[in-house]
This record gives sequence, C-alpha cells and structure tokens, in this order.
Amino acid sequence: MLAVIARKEFLEMTRDGRFRWAAVVTALLLAAALTAGAVSWRAQRALQAQAAGQMREFWLNQGPRNPHSAAHYGLWAFKPKLTLAYLDQGVDPYTGVAAWLEAHKQNEFRFRPAADASAVQRLGDWTAAGILQVLVPLLIIVAGFGAFATEREQGTLRQLASLGVPARALVLGKVLGVGGALGLVLGPAAVLGAITLALAAGGPALVADLPRLALLAAVYLGYFLVVAAATLAVSARARTARAALVVLLLGWASTTLVMPRLAAGLARRAHPTPSAFAFAQAVSADLTGGVDGHSPGEDIERLKAETLRKYDVATVEALPVNFDAIAMQQGEEHGNAVFDRQFGRLYDTYRAQARVHALAGLVAPVLPVRALSMAIAGTDVEQHRAFATAAERYRRMLVKAMNEDMAANSRTGDFSYRAPPALWASIPSFAYEAPPLGEALAGAGTAFAVFTAWLVAAGLGLAAIRRLDVA
Amino acid sequence: MSVPTAPAPSPSAGPARGAPSREGILVADRLTKRYGDVTALDALSFAVGAGEVYALLGANGAGKTTAINCFLGFIAPTSGTARVDGVGVEQDPVATKRRLAYIPETVMLYRHLTGLENLEYFATLGTGRAFAEGELLEHLARAGLAADAARRPVGGYSKGMRQKVGIAIALAKDARALLLDEPTSGLDPKASNEFSALLAMLRERGCAILMATHDLFRAKESATRVGIMRHGVCRAELATADIGHADLERIYLEHMTD
Repeated sequence: MLAVIARKEFLEMTRDGRFRWAAVVTALLLAAALTAGAVSWRAQRALQAQAAGQMREFWLNQGPRNPHSAAHYGLWAFKPKLTLAYLDQGVDPYTGVAAWLEAHKQNEFRFRPAADASAVQRLGDWTAAGILQVLVPLLIIVAGFGAFATEREQGTLRQLASLGVPARALVLGKVLGVGGALGLVLGPAAVLGAITLALAAGGPALVADLPRLALLAAVYLGYFLVVAAATLAVSARARTARAALVVLLLGWASTTLVMPRLAAGLARRAHPTPSAFAFAQAVSADLTGGVDGHSPGEDIERLKAETLRKYDVATVEALPVNFDAIAMQQGEEHGNAVFDRQFGRLYDTYRAQARVHALAGLVAPVLPVRALSMAIAGTDVEQHRAFATAAERYRRMLVKAMNEDMAANSRTGDFSYRAPPALWASIPSFAYEAPPLGEALAGAGTAFAVFTAWLVAAGLGLAAIRRLDVA
Repeated sequence: MSVPTAPAPSPSAGPARGAPSREGILVADRLTKRYGDVTALDALSFAVGAGEVYALLGANGAGKTTAINCFLGFIAPTSGTARVDGVGVEQDPVATKRRLAYIPETVMLYRHLTGLENLEYFATLGTGRAFAEGELLEHLARAGLAADAARRPVGGYSKGMRQKVGIAIALAKDARALLLDEPTSGLDPKASNEFSALLAMLRERGCAILMATHDLFRAKESATRVGIMRHGVCRAELATADIGHADLERIYLEHMTD
C-alpha cells in the first residue's frame, strides 16, 4: 500500500509544473554551487600549498641570521581545508584561514573573505550547504503543501477515506512520495557532488572522506524528513491548500531566514564578544606588568638576579649564556600565559554563543543542522580553535627554539650573533591534522542533541496523524 | 429494536456473492444523528438487499447525504447503527469500506494522472491487490470509457467520464454495495441514461445500491424502492414497480409540504 501511495505522489508531483520548475531551479543552483565550490576549494588548496612551500623555502634559505630576528621574521600558517569544506565553508570566511606566526604575539587570523565581501557578493556566495539548508526546504514545501489540503479541497481525500485507507499509510506513503520526487533533484546532485569531490581531491580522498560524507548526507536527509513531516502535518490540518502554503512559507522564512539572525543576536547579547580594538587593548593591558624581554624593569632585575645566582657569577657579562635571550624567552612565557587566558576567554565566549545557537535550534531545525554540517565539514568554530591552538603551539616552539639557540650560542649584549642555516632546518614544517570525526561531533554535542529531538518530534508528529478530516 | 429486512431480490437480480445476508447488505437501524439541537437523522431504518437499488429522495438538508456518510464512517451516528454485509461500520470501519464503493456527485480524481492510473490507484488501495493493465482497461471499458480516453489525464475529463471511472472503481473492487450521492446531478440526459445502464449492470451483478438523489425521474427508472425523506425522517417507502412517474412526483410533493 505504501509503495502504491508513494508512486502516485511521485507521479503527480513530477507532472506538476510548479514542482518541475522549482526542482529545475534548485538542481541548477545546487550544481553550480557544487562545481564552483569544488573549483574554488581546489584553487585555494593549490594556493595554500604554493604559499606554504614558498614560505618554507624562504625560511630555510634565509642565510645566517640572528635567531631572534628570524623569530620576528616569522611564518605563515595556513589552515588546511578538509575536502568537505567545499560543501560547507562554515565560519572560515569570517575567521580567516591564515595566521601570521611571529615572536611576542599571538596574532588574530587574517584574510577573511567575509570582511571584504560586498552585500551583492554575499548573495552570490551560496554554497551547497546553504542551498540544502534554505532552498531545498522550500522545494519540499512546494512539493508537499497540498499533500492533504489539496486532496481535501478536491474531494479525493474523501474518495480515499471511502476505501478505508488508513491515515498512517497515507502519511507514510506521502512522505515516501515527496522523498522520491526530491530524490530526482538530490540524487543527481549527490552524484555530481561525488564526481566533483573526486576530481577536486582525488579518489583516495573521496574514499577517506566517505564516513564524513555519509554522515553529512544522513544529517541532511534527517533535516529534509523534519521539513517534510512539518509540511505534511500543516497540510493535514489546513482547511485549504492556500492556507497551508501561507503557513508553511511563513514558517520557512521565520525559521531559515529570520531565526538564524535572531539567534546570532541573542547569542551575542547573552555572551558578548569584544570588538577587535577592545580585545587588542585587553591583551595589551594584560601583558603590561609582566616580563618584557626588551625593556628593563623590576621583573628583568629579578630574573637577572636568579640567573646570576644559578650560574654563580656576579655580572651578566660573566654568564656562559646570553641573558638577553633568556629574558626574551621569559617574556614569551608571560605573553603565552596572557594569550592563553585572553584567547581562551574569547573562544569560550564563542563556544557559549554556539550553545545558545544550538538551543535556539529548538525553534528552528536549520540551526542544529548548520552546526552539524560545519562540524562534519571541519569548518566550525571548535575546529577553527583546534587549528589556532596548533598554530600557536608551533609559534611557541619556534620562538623558544630561536631564543634557546641564541642563549646557548651567544653572550649578553651580542646581537651580532648569526645562527647557521642548520638551525632553520631543525625547525619542522608546520603540519596540522584536523580533529577526527568523533571529536568534531563531540564539539557539536548540543546541536546533535537538539537535532535528535527534532527527528523524534518529526516521527511522533507523523505518527500522531491518525485521523484525517475529509471535509 | 426492530431490524428492517430487505425484500427478496427481484428475479432480474443476479445471485448475491459472499455469505448470504438475511437482513440485507446495507442496513440502517434506527440511525440517528444530532448536531446540538438539530436532528439530521431521526431513527432512520431501511435495508437494501443484493441486486436492489434503494433511492433516498428528499430536498437539501433532508438527511440523505448524512445517511450515506454514516455508512462510509465519515460521521459517527448519535445512536443506531449502519451495517454493511452484517458488519457494523463503527465496529470495523476498514472491513465495511472494503465491501463498499462510493460515487459522489462528482467523482474526484487526480487531474495529473490518467483515468487508467486513477483507477489503478483507487482499486489497488481499495482491494489491497495489484491489477494488470488489461484487467483495468476491461473494467473501464465495461464502465463505458474507451482505452484512448483512459490513457488521457483526468484534467480534461467531463463529469460523465469521471462517473465512469467511479463505476470502474466499483467494478474493480467487486463491491458488495454501492453508495451514490447525487450521481446524475449535472449530467446531460445522454450521460444520465448511460449511468442508469451502468447501475443496471451493477444491479445484475448482485450489488446493493443506495442512491441519494433529487432526480425523481432517474430514481423511478433506476431504483427498485424509494424512501422519501424530510427532516431526517423517512416519511414513506415505495416500490417503484408499483407506481408511475406521476404518482411518485405527487407522493413526493405531498411529503414535502406540511
């Protein structure tokens, strides 16, 4: 019975001009987003690889140089994009993907496409995720708003009821029918997605990313089920198809367009983040009062006394090590503690905001879906934090190695010391492994719980349609 | 409680299929429906046997459609029962619907599907079995719809063509009983005649037919008995064989005035 109902729904929908047009437009947008996303992902990856290679080459070939000067010379660290990032760019356009690593400072990320984008450009920046989250639900509404309401208006529901078709079978059959019609759009899109993924990242990457791809597909299918369930539930209760359409369009606009912005505002209000200027000032104020390796002060004097005692000498000139380098490293340690505190607080605020977002998802299912999609694609705030932490760890290792080399191989006040190229080669290239899928999902735990609640609610909602008013 | 019994089927009626029903295939037993202070049906009782056509006559609001809705399970009676082939509608609505076919004033079909696809859909859902295309076309042909018309989308069908698909659904379901709600309303005389011929065919197959109509002429032509209803009450029950068209009209009008 279910197959019969589903087949009829599928036939009717695919013969309906409104659905055909909506499906064609959605499919074209999805195809364009997938292709453009894959091309852009590949170009960005090539650019990053090229820039990272050049950076390494400059680092290795910088010739004899004072290590501290080399630490100031610095390096770029690039956030490697997971393959699925071409489907969902997540927060990358807002956070940036390149960090400048240098002595004394934990810099904020740079090259944020969103900061340079015009309003018009933002309209053109639809990713596949955006289309799946916003436009496909609209397509489901177009396909399903009349599922019961039109049948009720036209009298076919009465005809069906006279046959003794159980409401539950009708509901499930219609869900399957809507799913089948949607498959006409999403099936080819999935194939195109796999092809573009394989072309952009290569076959082995496609295989390696299959679990993520499968999970991403499951999340979106679950989301579409939720939307389909809501659509059918409204259609089952609406007096007319027009009323069902109006209610559903209002619901769509408020949950997919208004709520995300509202949730962002709520999150900012509940957990305010400082402006870039205020953050820089807070870091600067926190740094003041600690050891500044470049300027004399009480802390430097205390460190000097400790160092002289340790080496049992009377003056810094008599030290077997370069006290300037020791002081600079001490300054680094102080700075590191400040950065851990300030950036830690900032990221904790982001995390709290993400939780508010996820909880707002109790009203708008697109919010937990968006969070899960970014987590699976490796482009959420948590994974940005993981990368930022790794880049900062690398910066500290590099600066420490420079300071230690300078301390060991030169004397206090001797800034003419030049380290040999072997020192540069002893510093490994920056390599970053994104957190595994389980860890990424754990970071989106609240969103996962809220999404599961939506799935359960959708199932219960469908099961609750036991009787259909035929007139 | 008195249970009305159906008169014996006319000699022209075919043998009833399935278990023989002593009380009639469609039985209204003191069927009452009240909406607040308004009584739509007031202890309505009748029985329709195999091969019988029972026409409920009456003005709008007389309770004809309410009676049909009680048999379909769309309305729960306030008291009394509607039975199909001995089974109470409220007791087992799915089983009773399996035995019924229903043709409303306008048979509602899916406009994007062809007549054949509509028949396949409703027949499969109504019987729970799959149909071969040839079998479906045969039912449609028997109902008077040619194969080329059957393969066209229903959006372009006339009311009469839709009625034929409705009859084909009843044939495919092999229904024990047929409920018709104003079936000839809006049909031209030729289509009405064709419809009457189809009813005669179903009658001969032993189908019990309950028809709600305003059309006295068609009731006299097609029905074996008529029940004249007013304010939810069956005022008179007549065997059409015993009266002429003019008698029926006179009696009907008498009951329509106080």
